[in-house]
Amino acid sequence: MGPGIGDARIRVPDRVARGELIVVNAIISHPMDTGFFRDADGQPIPAYFIKDVVVTYGDQEVARFTWTSGISRDPIVSFTLRADREVPLTMTWTDNKGGVFTQAADIKFASA
Amino acid sequence: MPQPDEPSRRAFLRGALLAGAGLIGSGSVLEAGRLLARTGDPDPEVPNEEVARILREISGGKPIRRGHLSLDMPVAAEDGRIVPVIIESDLPMTPERYVKAVHLIVDHNPDAHLAAFHLTSAVGSVSISTRIKMKRTTWVRAIAETSDGEVWAAYTRVQVMLNGCG
Repeated sequence: MGPGIGDARIRVPDRVARGELIVVNAIISHPMDTGFFRDADGQPIPAYFIKDVVVTYGDQEVARFTWTSGISRDPIVSFTLRADREVPLTMTWTDNKGGVFTQAADIKFASA
Repeated sequence: MPQPDEPSRRAFLRGALLAGAGLIGSGSVLEAGRLLARTGDPDPEVPNEEVARILREISGGKPIRRGHLSLDMPVAAEDGRIVPVIIESDLPMTPERYVKAVHLIVDHNPDAHLAAFHLTSAVGSVSISTRIKMKRTTWVRAIAETSDGEVWAAYTRVQVMLNGCG
């Protein structure tokens, strides 16, 4: 079985220095249908896409992305984070049909 | 002695550089040179009322100035379903002054205001990458709003070979 809709991964460096600026890479499996295409039988494929992504670091919301179906299938996004606390980085993707998908990655400091 | 400022030679070298880097698809070397030479041109024309409205909403009537932002995309996208985008900025990201949002606008897409990335100083820098769909050849605009009310922009024209929007 391949990944199902909503399966997500977040990649951060294994060990980071306190206060380091790190790159966060995230991918989620989602069709991101625009609603403008038809299937093989000529039936319209309804719009089905991630519309909102919330990025939380510990209990602090650090970023929020508002998307349309113009983001490519199986959306990837990367951004930076100032890693100043050893708390999880959590991302929550919400689609236009009410699907909510959450994934987290631990931020761990390298021991001195 | 070679004449480094001779224009046709410069254009040829630019074209060759782009072709070597794989940044052009079926476009000719001369075409690539012409597209790259757009840097420094006036801001792209606002194509329709929809884009005008989006720009008004983002800027709140403040001037949209070019600078402090880069928008990197391929000159020619073979497949409009998957077009890479990299947005970066040298603007500060401190609690006192930061980029609070970066907007991505694709002029001739069905939904032109493609994405908004709302940020806080906790992300430390503006360095965002993703992949988008494009319907046809058009200007793409990245617009950054700062917490103290400045609006900065970067523009890139992308040639699209295959419609990725349906």
